[in-house]
Amino acid sequence: MVLDARDMIQPAAAASEKNIQEVLAQGAAGVSLRSVTKKYGSFTAVENLLLDIPAGSYCCLLGPSGCGKTTTLRMIAGHESITSGDIYIGDRRVNALPPAKRNTAMMFQNYALFPHKTVWQNVEFGLRMRRVPTAERRVRVGEILELVGLSQTSDRKPDQLSGGQQQRIALARALVTRPQVLMLDEPLSALDENLRVRMRSELRNIQKQFGLTFIQVTHHVEEAFSLSDQIVVMDHGHIDQVATPSDLFAKPASKFVAKFIGDNNIFAGTVLNAVPDSDGLDMIELAVAGLGSIFSRGQATSVGQTAACSVRPDLLTIVSTAADAPSPQANHLTARVVDVELTGYVTRVGLLTEATGQELLYKVRTADWADAGISEGQAVTLRWSAHDCVFLAD
Amino acid sequence: MANVSRRYVLRTGLAAGAAVAAARCGGAPEGTPNNPATGPEVNTNQIKDVTLRLIGTGVSQINEIRDKAQEDLGFSLDMRALSTEENNQIAITQPDQYDIFDGEYFSLPLVVPSGNLRPIEIAKVSDWDKIVSFFTSGEYEGMPVEASQGTAPYKVMYLTGPDSTEFSDTPTDFATLIPFQYNADTLGYRPDLITRPIETWGELFNEEFRGKTSILDIPQIGIMDAALVAESLGLMTFADKGNMTKAEIDQIIGILKEQKAAGQFRAFWKTFDESVNLMASGEVILQSMWSPAVAAVQSQGIDCVYAPLKEGYRGWGGGVGLSKNLEGIQLDAAYEYLNWMLEGWVGAFLGRQGYYSAAPENSKQYMSAAEWAYWYEGQPASEDMVDPFGKTLAKSGNVRDGGAFKERFGNIVCWNSTMEENTYLVQKWNEFIAS
Amino acid sequence: MSKTWTVFKPYLLAAPQAIALAVFLVFPIVLIGVVSFWEFNGYSMTPAFTLDNYIGIFTSQVTLKTYLNTFKFVGLVWLATLLIAYPVAFFLSFHIKKLKWQVLLFLICTIPFWTSNIIRMISWVPLLGKAGLVNQLLMGVGLINQPLEFLLYSDFAVVLGMVHLYIIFMIAPIFNSLMRIDRTLITAAEDMGASGFDVFKEIILPLSAPGIAIGSIFVVTLVMGEFVTVRLMGGGQAASIGKLIQTQIGSLQYPLAAANAIILLTVTLVVVFSILRVVNIRKEL
Repeated sequence: MVLDARDMIQPAAAASEKNIQEVLAQGAAGVSLRSVTKKYGSFTAVENLLLDIPAGSYCCLLGPSGCGKTTTLRMIAGHESITSGDIYIGDRRVNALPPAKRNTAMMFQNYALFPHKTVWQNVEFGLRMRRVPTAERRVRVGEILELVGLSQTSDRKPDQLSGGQQQRIALARALVTRPQVLMLDEPLSALDENLRVRMRSELRNIQKQFGLTFIQVTHHVEEAFSLSDQIVVMDHGHIDQVATPSDLFAKPASKFVAKFIGDNNIFAGTVLNAVPDSDGLDMIELAVAGLGSIFSRGQATSVGQTAACSVRPDLLTIVSTAADAPSPQANHLTARVVDVELTGYVTRVGLLTEATGQELLYKVRTADWADAGISEGQAVTLRWSAHDCVFLAD
Repeated sequence: MANVSRRYVLRTGLAAGAAVAAARCGGAPEGTPNNPATGPEVNTNQIKDVTLRLIGTGVSQINEIRDKAQEDLGFSLDMRALSTEENNQIAITQPDQYDIFDGEYFSLPLVVPSGNLRPIEIAKVSDWDKIVSFFTSGEYEGMPVEASQGTAPYKVMYLTGPDSTEFSDTPTDFATLIPFQYNADTLGYRPDLITRPIETWGELFNEEFRGKTSILDIPQIGIMDAALVAESLGLMTFADKGNMTKAEIDQIIGILKEQKAAGQFRAFWKTFDESVNLMASGEVILQSMWSPAVAAVQSQGIDCVYAPLKEGYRGWGGGVGLSKNLEGIQLDAAYEYLNWMLEGWVGAFLGRQGYYSAAPENSKQYMSAAEWAYWYEGQPASEDMVDPFGKTLAKSGNVRDGGAFKERFGNIVCWNSTMEENTYLVQKWNEFIAS
Repeated sequence: MSKTWTVFKPYLLAAPQAIALAVFLVFPIVLIGVVSFWEFNGYSMTPAFTLDNYIGIFTSQVTLKTYLNTFKFVGLVWLATLLIAYPVAFFLSFHIKKLKWQVLLFLICTIPFWTSNIIRMISWVPLLGKAGLVNQLLMGVGLINQPLEFLLYSDFAVVLGMVHLYIIFMIAPIFNSLMRIDRTLITAAEDMGASGFDVFKEIILPLSAPGIAIGSIFVVTLVMGEFVTVRLMGGGQAASIGKLIQTQIGSLQYPLAAANAIILLTVTLVVVFSILRVVNIRKEL
């Protein structure tokens, strides 16, 4: 993949407001999944999905491979039939419609540009297949190529373009048919790290500019966080959580989500006690074997049940002396520093609890870590507030 | 390479000394022939180490003959079966690849000028005078064969001198090939599908058999069959079928083209197996055939007649000759082999398959009276005739098609030929195939 | 030392192959070219420089006629192999999902190669001969009264034999190029509203064109020089340049055969380069 200056031309520079309005002739549409299930023989790929994606939002389906996110996307696009349930795009039920009739367009992993066709022919393809008259095709393809800033490449073949240019051609090809919903199947996974970050912001810009509904499949947490209005975390064919990035970050809804979205420290135990706290949440005391009580906040389950709690690695503090017994304000435990990894601005510190040997992670500004003067092998006390600790029911 | 080094070692052991041996090795056998009969070279210990390499057509390269020869002679034979064309090509272009050439007489006008054959000293062939007289003198009891056209064996039998590549019209002391296999070819047909007897070459172009006949796709032989047919039908005449003029070639090719266009031929054949297959499958019911091919069809349990025709037969003959590479003990071994060929066992072996021996009287002692009577004298078989491979070729009471040896051999009217206009013939033949 | 090595390494690595090609391909062809100018008589050839061989070939009616006949075989065999091979390859690559079955069925396509020429040719007789299965069947159901003779020892039989023999050379490269088509391209085309026929015409056919070209090159070059099948299936009555050359070699007319071979090589190369001009096959290599 070649990264050249043209990659960084903002499409907006070339696009007039009028063009965008034309492209958006049909406006955006929301997508709604109602109890959608997909089975392959006896294997259930996704089960009973309930999901509303608002019109004009950027939604990411996030999850590990095999979680059913791609199947879900393909069902919305119409490349996969559904076993039961309904899919609505806008207010149209599209269960039985072929892909081309759904007012959707799809951008594929590796873009799936036709290698034997020129850029112009690639973009024109969808219009030709819809029997759009030649004259109109010429106008619309010209407009959209101008919009993505690639008019000058129209006679080239895809393999003569840089990775960024290929992505924009793929976008142009998807947008030229004026879809209401654009679906993206891991569009960035083939790119190197540097380009991926840049392309990400370009995708986000285009989505904002066009105001279309974007549904993107990704297994890349950071990508989902940086792009989405709404993240749908999936696991084993189920939706675990639907939330905005900031909510997801602050309040993972399950142990799986907490683990998957980051390096959260998770403690499993049994509910010992729960009392109502402010803003409708409960303050829950969890008995963790070998570590004593850990306090967290959330919707309590009944006493005696197994549960867990999670704290983000950046919300821990390290103190060199043990404090008082745990209180609702400050959880603490003793751990030994075993690994220090400097990743740039942030330093990742790996620790093992003295009592149980559980691995923990602490993230700290590199500058602050240097000030703390703690070295590997040293025993320290970790503290964190119960307000930063999320209760996770099993 | 293995052979060269073996010879090298062998010669070194002989006498002359390393220097002489090396010189001989490098210098190839040129100039005067070596006198092979010097004392120490005839030595049973050494002759065991000799291997003679034979090239020949598949028909004659028979393992049983090789095994018997090795047993009787005490040295090894290495046989290589080739098509007629390959055989000639190797004989002419690759003289180092063989010690004994087993080929047809009509190939000799091509092979002999290459200088790759060593003239056979007749004095060393003990049974020369037992060979059928036509081969050695061109005479045979005043039968039509004496006037036969084409490359008759005796015309290319003698060379003018010990190093000569020139044929002699009259007997000399130097021969080209010792006759080995020979026979008279004619039309073969399926009596179950053609109910009347076929008695003339002209039948090959009879409309009755349109799309069911075949001829040989080897220009030099095919043209001869066509000439016999044309003459028989009175379509044209030849001054000498065995040496046609360009005008004659044009005319006979023209006739062949007409016949091909009219759909007279089902197919042309080039190998023994093809001719057998065509006849046995019934795709072709009348074609020019080699005598053993008729036998091969019969051995499949299918009736096939080798037709005695009133115009006579087309003859062919093959024999064995010596490579110019031979010298010393190798050459001795080769002469021993030639003499063994005439001695009778081989003749009888071939005789039981329907071929004729070069020296029939010698073969007779190896054949039973019943076999001799059936194969050579044209008498009804007094018992089942079984070939050396255990196949019954004729039931008791059968008479050989064409009758006695004298009847068949004596009525050969032309031979497979190499003509002076060979190049032109091939060109016209290609034209015929492409038409 | 190591610098020298770096400079010479690519040449040294390429050397064995280059030498092999030079010795076993280039040199013999040059030799054939040289011999084609020699003179010859019935049994020997003489080094010389004569254009007689070429003049003879170019002024002969037979040459043109035989070339036309050869081209007829090339055209018919090419068309038939393409029309049969493409659906077979398409079926194998798109409708057989399991690799195991693909491999197995592909191997079945190679069966014609498991037997020798002679066996194969002999076995056509009971099938296509006058009393063969096909004729018996047709007569049995009353479609014909007389056996069809054109089934064997005819141009039809030659084409049939060669199609049977060479079809795999068409199937293999087409199958290969079809297998290499990224299946998401098809999904993408469907996503943009392409019908099944559109997908084939716009995506699959153009992307498998290099496979068709390679298969065509195989088939064309093989049929151009073919003489065994022409002789055996044509019953010796069909002419081709290969057979003409073989007859000339058989009659020891090497210079004439060499001149014909040089012309055949030239004509074949012209055909191959024409194919290469139409289709870019680099992606397949």
